[in-house]
Amino acid sequence: MSDELVEAIADMRDEEAIELASRLLDGGTPPLEILEDCRKAMAIVGQRFEDEEYFIPELILAGETLRSISEVVRPRLSADGGAAAKNGKIVLGTVAGDIHDIGKDIVSFMLDVNGFEVFDLGVDVPVETFVAKVRELRPEIVALSGFLTLAFDSMKETVEALEKAGLRDGVKIMIGGGTVDDTVREYARADAYGETATDAVNLAKAWTGVAA
Amino acid sequence: MTSMTTADLLAERTARLEDAYALRQPDRVPVFMPASYFLAGWGGISHQRLLEDDDKRQELLEHAALHFQPDTIFGVFNDPRASQAVGDRMTKFPGHGLPESGSFQFVEHEFMTPDDYEPFLRDPSDWVVRTYLPRAFSKLAGLALLPPLAMGAFGTYALFNFGVLTRPEVVAALRALADAAEGQAACDAWNIQSGGRLAALGFAPPPLVGSLIEAPYDFMSDTLRGMRGVMTDMLRRPDKLLAAQDLVLEIQLEHAIAHHRATGQRFAFIPLHRGSDGFMSIAHFERFYWPQLLSMQLRLIDAGITPVCFYEGVWDKRLHYIADLPRAATIGWFQASDIFQVKEVAGQTLCIIGGMSNSLLQAGSVERVRAVTREVCQRVGAGGGFVMATGIGEMEGCRPELVEAWVQATREFGVS
Repeated sequence: MSDELVEAIADMRDEEAIELASRLLDGGTPPLEILEDCRKAMAIVGQRFEDEEYFIPELILAGETLRSISEVVRPRLSADGGAAAKNGKIVLGTVAGDIHDIGKDIVSFMLDVNGFEVFDLGVDVPVETFVAKVRELRPEIVALSGFLTLAFDSMKETVEALEKAGLRDGVKIMIGGGTVDDTVREYARADAYGETATDAVNLAKAWTGVAA
Repeated sequence: MTSMTTADLLAERTARLEDAYALRQPDRVPVFMPASYFLAGWGGISHQRLLEDDDKRQELLEHAALHFQPDTIFGVFNDPRASQAVGDRMTKFPGHGLPESGSFQFVEHEFMTPDDYEPFLRDPSDWVVRTYLPRAFSKLAGLALLPPLAMGAFGTYALFNFGVLTRPEVVAALRALADAAEGQAACDAWNIQSGGRLAALGFAPPPLVGSLIEAPYDFMSDTLRGMRGVMTDMLRRPDKLLAAQDLVLEIQLEHAIAHHRATGQRFAFIPLHRGSDGFMSIAHFERFYWPQLLSMQLRLIDAGITPVCFYEGVWDKRLHYIADLPRAATIGWFQASDIFQVKEVAGQTLCIIGGMSNSLLQAGSVERVRAVTREVCQRVGAGGGFVMATGIGEMEGCRPELVEAWVQATREFGVS
């Protein structure tokens, strides 16, 4: 493990981190070890975000640094990438009619660095797509995001469609974003709502029995 | 009240709002109803028709005003005519890239790349006309063929370059500009007529009439670099971002002051997007967001303009900055901040607009709406300086019986 690499990523020294990763690879460091360093760095970034030291600019830059390093590392990685064990599956997306992605992306990032396997369906996700994905993947959790007020209805319709498909009992549903509050949770019949990405992580951990 | 003329009603409502803006105690808390798509649901028409059928929209607006009796009401900001004419890539309107009852959405792009900082800072107007407009508006692609705009300074010799104006792409772009201008002028004319008709019915103008500008950071984020771009700039090229912010501050001030002088309209509406809690650290806020927004507001005030900021999202951790603004010189519309905390921290500084969550008017009950309205009137309305409104500037999906209960309860509990 390279403390230097972990620190460079976590401290937002992106150019240095990318250069260092290349140098380590060229020097014979196994690709998986570098990815593991990235994972550790992202966990630090996530922790600093929870501690309100970091905000969205740092998450974006860390994400870009990770992507750049991955581009260098992936070609040298054997087929069985050795994915880390995950805490549970979460299907996530911005509901139909709404294309806002900022909140969803932050929640996705934070769930991912906290060990959940996140299936991000993107934005403006039709009700049927949520149902099909839940049927296919059988996740523990569904997370619905929305910024516009019309999202209240899309969330409600998504929950109802899961009920109709007989899939509701198998999952916990969290909602969040924009003006979502407890009134909306009640309206949409979701299990919980969250105001921040940290709320989403805490809910997911509580629901899957992972120690917080 | 039945014996009052509409002129009396207009005077009374205007005075009520003016008292609130000036932090005086009005006879009761005024109500601002930013109806927007609510009118479509209310009238049983699509969102597209609401935006594009001027007569129908006006009919519904007047109907809603007379039915709910707010002190001021607002319909829609803009119709899609100008955007359509230029092939606007950053907006989606109902019926144009969205279902006919979809909701208008802004689609961020990185129209300005990191490499564009240099030409933008050197000669913003040239960069905007020849580089930005062709990227942001598909039907203005031909503007990229123009010679450097400053070649115009070559006087008679500049005419030697005019042949390019006959190129089909350039002709198409100039036509698209003319079409957009006509579309926008029609929209503006309708807005003026609409306001006049509402005034004739006794309804005061909303606190939005004036120029539209943005915090310099949001200007760089929304229409130029995109949020991802501007946020990486904070960490990778902060000096360039700050220099560009200084530039767009000056450009916007020049615009807002000229607009004010030409129209006499007193407000500058400033919707704030990325400065709320959660987007950036306080250290970054103090470097990249607030100083520029503060300077903008102070200079608007000096020019006789009242800045009306829409504080989108939650500003609970940033209220003390707002509290330091000059007293009774600005107005703040708060979307999701703790409205009681806003009152406590900044209530002596600026008139507060907001107080009613859209979700409650959509999914609440009459009892809950009344209870919340009562508490907000009593606590935020105390001492004046408060205009009751929904947190978001449009009331899509709100249930008419709850809207009625809300306005009625404000009239009942908002009396000082």
